[in-house]
Amino acid sequence: MALPKRIIKETERLMAEPVPGISAVPHDDNLRYFDVTIDGPTQSPYEGGTFKLELFLPDDYPMTPPKVRFLTKIYHPNIDRLGRICLDVLKGNWSPALQIRTILLSIQALLGAPNPDDPLANDVAQQWKEDQNTAIATAKEWTEKYAKA
Amino acid sequence: MAHPELEERPAKKRRFFVDDELPPSSSTSTQSSAPLLSSNVEAEVTIKTPEIAPHTPGAFDVDLLAGIIGETLSTTVVEHLIKASDGNLERAINIYLDGSWKDQTTPAVSLPTDPSNVSEASSLSLVSSKKPARPGKQLSRFPDKRYIGSFGVAGWATRSGLGLLTFGEKIQIERAKPVAAKKPGRFGNGAGSKRNDIVVRFTNSRREEVGRLENTAAAWIASLLDQHICFLEGTCVYAPNRIKTGDDLILQLHCYLLKTAFGSFGFGRMDSNRERNIFEAQESSEERDLRLRQIALVKLFEEIHLTPSSGHHQDEGQKREGIIQVAEKITEAGVQKIGDTSKQTENDPASPSSDVAENGEELEQDQLDALYKKAQAFDFDSPEAEPASTFILSLRRYQKQALHWMIGKETASSEREESMHPLWDEYKWPVKDSDGNDLPTTSNADSFYVNLYSGTLDLEFPVQEQNCLGGILADEMGLGKTIEVLSLVHSHRDESLPPAANRSNTINDLSRLHEPTSALNVEPAPSTTLVICPMSLLSQWKSEAEKASSPGTVNVFVYYGSEKNLDLRTLCCRANSTQIPNIIITSYGTVLSQYQEMASRDGTMKPDSLFGLSYYRVVLDEAHMIKNRTSKTAKACYELKAQHRWVLSGTPIVNREQDLFSLVHFLQVAPWSNFSYWRTFITAPFESGDFLRALRVLQTVMEPLILRRTKDMKLPSGEALVPLPTRTIKIDKLELSESERDVYDFFFHRAKRTFDANADNLLKKYTTIFAQILRLRQTCCHPLLTRNPGIVADEEDAINAKDVESGLSDDMDLVSLLSKFEGETEEQDANKFGAAVLRQIQEESAVECPICCEEPMNEQTVTGCWHSACKQCILDYIQHQREKGQTPKCFNCREEINNRDLFEVVRHDGVEHGHTGTSELSTSKAAASKISLRRLGINGSTKISALLTELKKLRVQDPMTKSVVFSQFTSFLDLIEPALKRDHIAFLRFDGTMAQKQRAAVIDEFVNRRNGVVLLLSLRAGGVGLNLTAAKHVFMMDPWWSFAVEAQAIDRVHRMGQESEVHVTRFIIQGTVEERMLKIQERKRFIATSLGMMNEEEKKLQRIEDIKELLS
Repeated sequence: MALPKRIIKETERLMAEPVPGISAVPHDDNLRYFDVTIDGPTQSPYEGGTFKLELFLPDDYPMTPPKVRFLTKIYHPNIDRLGRICLDVLKGNWSPALQIRTILLSIQALLGAPNPDDPLANDVAQQWKEDQNTAIATAKEWTEKYAKA
Repeated sequence: MAHPELEERPAKKRRFFVDDELPPSSSTSTQSSAPLLSSNVEAEVTIKTPEIAPHTPGAFDVDLLAGIIGETLSTTVVEHLIKASDGNLERAINIYLDGSWKDQTTPAVSLPTDPSNVSEASSLSLVSSKKPARPGKQLSRFPDKRYIGSFGVAGWATRSGLGLLTFGEKIQIERAKPVAAKKPGRFGNGAGSKRNDIVVRFTNSRREEVGRLENTAAAWIASLLDQHICFLEGTCVYAPNRIKTGDDLILQLHCYLLKTAFGSFGFGRMDSNRERNIFEAQESSEERDLRLRQIALVKLFEEIHLTPSSGHHQDEGQKREGIIQVAEKITEAGVQKIGDTSKQTENDPASPSSDVAENGEELEQDQLDALYKKAQAFDFDSPEAEPASTFILSLRRYQKQALHWMIGKETASSEREESMHPLWDEYKWPVKDSDGNDLPTTSNADSFYVNLYSGTLDLEFPVQEQNCLGGILADEMGLGKTIEVLSLVHSHRDESLPPAANRSNTINDLSRLHEPTSALNVEPAPSTTLVICPMSLLSQWKSEAEKASSPGTVNVFVYYGSEKNLDLRTLCCRANSTQIPNIIITSYGTVLSQYQEMASRDGTMKPDSLFGLSYYRVVLDEAHMIKNRTSKTAKACYELKAQHRWVLSGTPIVNREQDLFSLVHFLQVAPWSNFSYWRTFITAPFESGDFLRALRVLQTVMEPLILRRTKDMKLPSGEALVPLPTRTIKIDKLELSESERDVYDFFFHRAKRTFDANADNLLKKYTTIFAQILRLRQTCCHPLLTRNPGIVADEEDAINAKDVESGLSDDMDLVSLLSKFEGETEEQDANKFGAAVLRQIQEESAVECPICCEEPMNEQTVTGCWHSACKQCILDYIQHQREKGQTPKCFNCREEINNRDLFEVVRHDGVEHGHTGTSELSTSKAAASKISLRRLGINGSTKISALLTELKKLRVQDPMTKSVVFSQFTSFLDLIEPALKRDHIAFLRFDGTMAQKQRAAVIDEFVNRRNGVVLLLSLRAGGVGLNLTAAKHVFMMDPWWSFAVEAQAIDRVHRMGQESEVHVTRFIIQGTVEERMLKIQERKRFIATSLGMMNEEEKKLQRIEDIKELLS
């Protein structure tokens, strides 16, 4: 199947004008499959870490959202142990007007603003709610351990 | 065959009963009871010499002959010479010296011919094509009847008695009319009553009826007598002294040809035929007469052993082989048939005998290919000719070669000497009677001429006319046949007649014009080429002719409609030479109507009609129009007179070999223009399955006549003959919208019900089912089409129309289904929604589609919350969300949206000047702000939307693009029109309902318009001939049963002169009958149904097959 014009354009733009702190590079053998890195936002427990993700554009993209998953272990109430992300725009709030770039920005924002009220990793969310400081410390620790170098 | 006895008995008895070696009459020197007489009996027969002045022929002196020739001849040679010359020394010398005697070593037995072989056409052309008498012939001195020979025949007595008839008694031969047949003594057997009209009685010298001739002989003798060809008298050769009824009687009959027999089968009959039998495919009474005459003459010559003294013997073997084959076929059913048919009244159309001819098998494609193969063996190095300087277009190389070939054809044979017409044979009058007595002769008339193919006799030498000074230009469509002919018009004119020569005739002409003109009064038009073409091409011919000529060198005149009132004669013959039209262009319809007018006036023409002139050249364009030789149009064209005749056709054979016959007949290519001859050598072998032989003959006929090149011919260098730009055909498969689908399903189930209910007897319900299929096809185009009475009439399914009317009550749900399409058609100016909205739309229009990133958007469409995207993207997204069970939301602001609240943005810029949008408000001044919004969905039809999408895309890509849109439903075009109007797409319309002038104007405007424009064409009106190379894009809105028809339409655009790539888009609705029609198309590519060649019944059967495929 030929690659839709939209994917080509998005890829070109991601290359030409990259978002600071975010990179997305398609695989040579599958242009719908991207290697993504997101830098942890400043002022967050993830600061200084570089998180790897994979992103896949399904056949009916942009009617359906891209599939995104963290590859790097991360301690976050909305991201489970398998790296799956709980984010509205990746689910029901997806709109074809959104793009790879906007989705990755949303994920970056999610790192800066965890939302334990809509948890995916229940144990993490529990911890976050009961003892936020310990939770943040653990997050920093994980970042140090998994997301650096 | 050698005839040793001839040497001893020159010329005397050999004609009669002594020819031992001829099998058919071989019972020689037999007992007197045999039907034929032995020579010793014959010697005793006395015959009264007819009352003609005696004549003494010189005895044949072999020594003198040898002396003159200067060499001693073998006896065999001498014998042949004597035979060939009828014992005339002088002639023998001539024959020897010109070598023609060698051809005659076999005495050509008179040829049995196929009774169904004869058409009135053949006698027509042959009789009428005779040249004036050769000088010196004195017909006035020709006796009323002239002896040609004697033969023996058996009869049987019809009464008993003593001494009724004695040996040597003179006998009168009388023709018994059916009324007279109720004489006593008649045998009551079936055969007798069946053939009661062939009874030939004879009476003794006391004029008492004695008996009748045997039926086999009587059959043909009766025709000779009935048609006033012969006078017969006889002598009794054997009769028992006491005669009992039924006894055999042997007679010798002396046969005289009547003067009236010569050249008398002609115009009177032809004229009556013209009215009555014009559409009659069956054998007409004239054809039957002809056939009987033909048989009779053949038999007669056979019986009296009269062989042609000169004729065309080079193909004797072939000729005989052919004729014998046909004769064999006939003998199986023939005798019966002859009896049957001759019994039938003249108006009886049910004659079975010529069915075969008319329903001849169609040629398969591969046969056609083989047929053309030879004609297409085009020599790429054949010489070229440069057109005259007055011709200003440049010709391609192969066109120059065509010009050379055509000029060659027109001039070629003009130097040939006078030769005998190939269908005629020359016969010598006998100089001695059966007893060896000298017969009187008439000076200057010692031979007569017979055409066995038409059964005609003549005393005058039948000259082969130099008539085929033309041919068939069969280049494939798009190679420029028109241009080639125009170059010929320029380059080969008649210089022999200076215009001044005409002027001296002026007074003559005037006086003639005032008296009622006879059919023979034809004026020459020596510098005029008459072009006959289908009506739709009239203006194209005119404009091409003008385009090709440097100004003032060629006068082109369209003879059509109101121009017809002009007197062509005045125009062509008497006006001063500069105003004589060089080219008159007219339509087949005009020729036909004038022909009918002529026929209604009993063959006399109006002096100012097309038939009143003899043209320099006649050209039939799209000449397959006359492929049916019995059609009126074909007959009308045959009547045109011209020095040069040309036919142009990309498909000279549409599907049977007889198609070609009509062209050949028009061209007057002797001998092939004779139907009997054609049947013998081509049709008959075809029918008997001897394809190869027929093919060989056909190729021989066509090769010198035809020039054919095809588009895909390659030059030796590998280049295409005509490098046409590529053509891409894309099938655009569309999905019906939900509401369209509902209507479609409604019709489909109904059709299926009818189909299932009548599965065993589809033919009976044919009309109904076919109409229902039609509904389905219409629904695919536009559901509202099914409600259009025009289409109902279109397809002649009045039954179904009634059905629908009466069954309207159960159509209530259909009505509601349809009503969904008749939504509001409002169009609102965007200004109404305020500046903010306008600005937003304007801004967004500049950016790419948020969904597909297309830039600019395809058919920018805004949601109720004024967010823009491509129309298709929005619709897809809404569809996607619905399928997931979600409420559709805006892709931008997540506002809830729905189909009803979508508006297409209609831009008014880039639109034709002077084309005012319906709802533009005066407040919008800047061109850029001229936009209006139109609610989506009011087009209703998937196909129309798809078409609009494509057209708008094209307009963005190239505003100058011209496109052609074909549909077979003119009412669909009616629905497309308003949609184009709404979107401000400029369009023109061309269909069958328009008058010629209008059509011309439309085509003219389409070609010459500077801006992009769309031409809406009906498939049927626009399928033929038109040149639409100005367009680059073709849209086929609906499939036809055969792709050939669509292909022909596409070729209007993709033809010579097309300079850019041609893109064809065929809209097909998925999962409907249309998709299945594609399969049918594949199955029967180029089968004849689509071209209208099958008869109605065959068509139906074919369609039933299709229907099964569609619905099962």
